[in-house]
Amino acid sequence: MKIPVHSFMLACALLSIAPSIVADEKTDALSSEVAAKGWLIYSARSDNGTWDLFLSRPDGSAARNLTNTADYEEAAPRFSPDAAQILYRRLTKGETINHDQWGFSGQLLIAKPDGTDARTVGEEGEYPWASWMPGGKQVVCLEKKGIKIVELATGTVTKQMPRNGIYQQLFVSPDGKWFCGTGNVKGAAWNVVRMYAETGEVNPVHEFQSCTPDWFPDSQRLIYSSRPEQKNNGGYGCTQLWINVGDGSMPEFIYGDESFHIYGGKVSPDGNYVLFTKCPKDGGGSEQNGAPMYVMRLADVPSIGGDSPELRALHPNTKDGPILELAMGWEPDWTSTELGIEK
Amino acid sequence: MNLFVKLKTGLLSFVSFMSFSSFSCCLLCCAGCAGPQLTDGADEHVATVGSVEVTAKLVDIPGEFPPNDLYDYAYVLKYEVQTTHRGQAAGAILVGQYNPLKPRNEAADKRAEDIGGNVTEFRVGDVHRLALEVPIDEYCMAGIINKYAGQTDAPIYWAVWTNKVVQ
Repeated sequence: MKIPVHSFMLACALLSIAPSIVADEKTDALSSEVAAKGWLIYSARSDNGTWDLFLSRPDGSAARNLTNTADYEEAAPRFSPDAAQILYRRLTKGETINHDQWGFSGQLLIAKPDGTDARTVGEEGEYPWASWMPGGKQVVCLEKKGIKIVELATGTVTKQMPRNGIYQQLFVSPDGKWFCGTGNVKGAAWNVVRMYAETGEVNPVHEFQSCTPDWFPDSQRLIYSSRPEQKNNGGYGCTQLWINVGDGSMPEFIYGDESFHIYGGKVSPDGNYVLFTKCPKDGGGSEQNGAPMYVMRLADVPSIGGDSPELRALHPNTKDGPILELAMGWEPDWTSTELGIEK
Repeated sequence: MNLFVKLKTGLLSFVSFMSFSSFSCCLLCCAGCAGPQLTDGADEHVATVGSVEVTAKLVDIPGEFPPNDLYDYAYVLKYEVQTTHRGQAAGAILVGQYNPLKPRNEAADKRAEDIGGNVTEFRVGDVHRLALEVPIDEYCMAGIINKYAGQTDAPIYWAVWTNKVVQ
């Protein structure tokens, strides 16, 4: 049978676009799945040229600029555990948000989750690396002399303890029993570590070029970025997203793409999804305009983006689940709480 | 003045200029032959910051410094103390230098606001006047790369101020 040339070409064209249609359908399904699962908050460069805080649904809809301040750079917002408040840092206009030093920068501010009633807490550089303690009435800070828990209403320091090598990105577990952070272990820098809050005892969670840890809602597992030794990118490798249990015994690769560095890992409040950023430049992009944020299902891990031959050889069980692209942002956070904000 | 005279005058001026330049260069070179000016590295900063002040020779840089463009770190170096000016330190000591690829007067940042000095690069054999704090863990808010880990329990000092000494 002779097949007309134009029919053959049409068939080829249809076959070539079929996978992308399927991928779009999968991504659309993911989008519908997460749309009503609370709210995201993130920092991003806005139309006024500075970094502002934004709120959106987890599918990216209902996005709004919460601060819209042309005279400041605002970054690193976090919902309080009950989502009744947010905390963030406010830097002077034009100050670069350093991806590793932001916790030392600017002033700490507390506001309602819609950005109203913002008030400064302390002066420039005070309350470094402040993050919420369970209950939302205290923050924990990471200073040179140690870890400090401070009552927000009075400024009273309720607990102080050595930091035992942790030097940035300190976050308390939802149950309040553990801290995680980036710290020094056995003469090496850049390890994700866990600290038992009662005794200060520290154990490594992931050694070698790991950072930006955050907790799962169960307080048992952590999500973080890591750049293992690799051949790709001229031997520099790509930063990947990993999870592990608190004692470090079950490291699990969850997402990577050899053309990007994955940061900002945040697990959804129901523990079923993960939020992250993909930046072609290492560091997460805070020094420029951030990077696109994405949502994926934890049921789809491990997944790999792009061709990524080295990653695919290392992780042949990849599921390559859909990832939903959201707006440009940096250091996103996620709450399941309905904030009473109209769509 | 015809063209020949102009050329002759110009040539003579050029020769004179070159002779003067060469003479000046020789003078400068001779000054250079005398070597850099001797200094004990003392100044108002190194004498007042930190709790320990020493003159020490840099005897070992283990490995190569990683790039400093994206990540900050302190790198632990080995010094041999020659003179202790303040506090307690003697013999071989380990000292963490923050972002050692940067000149000391450009290294301070939000992690390490108080550090400084006039050393521009770290070379084995150089002698420095150092203002130090100890232990490093209480002062350095950065990753610490310590290639001597596991070899000694000696405390590691944190370099607050590092000036060049020329003996």
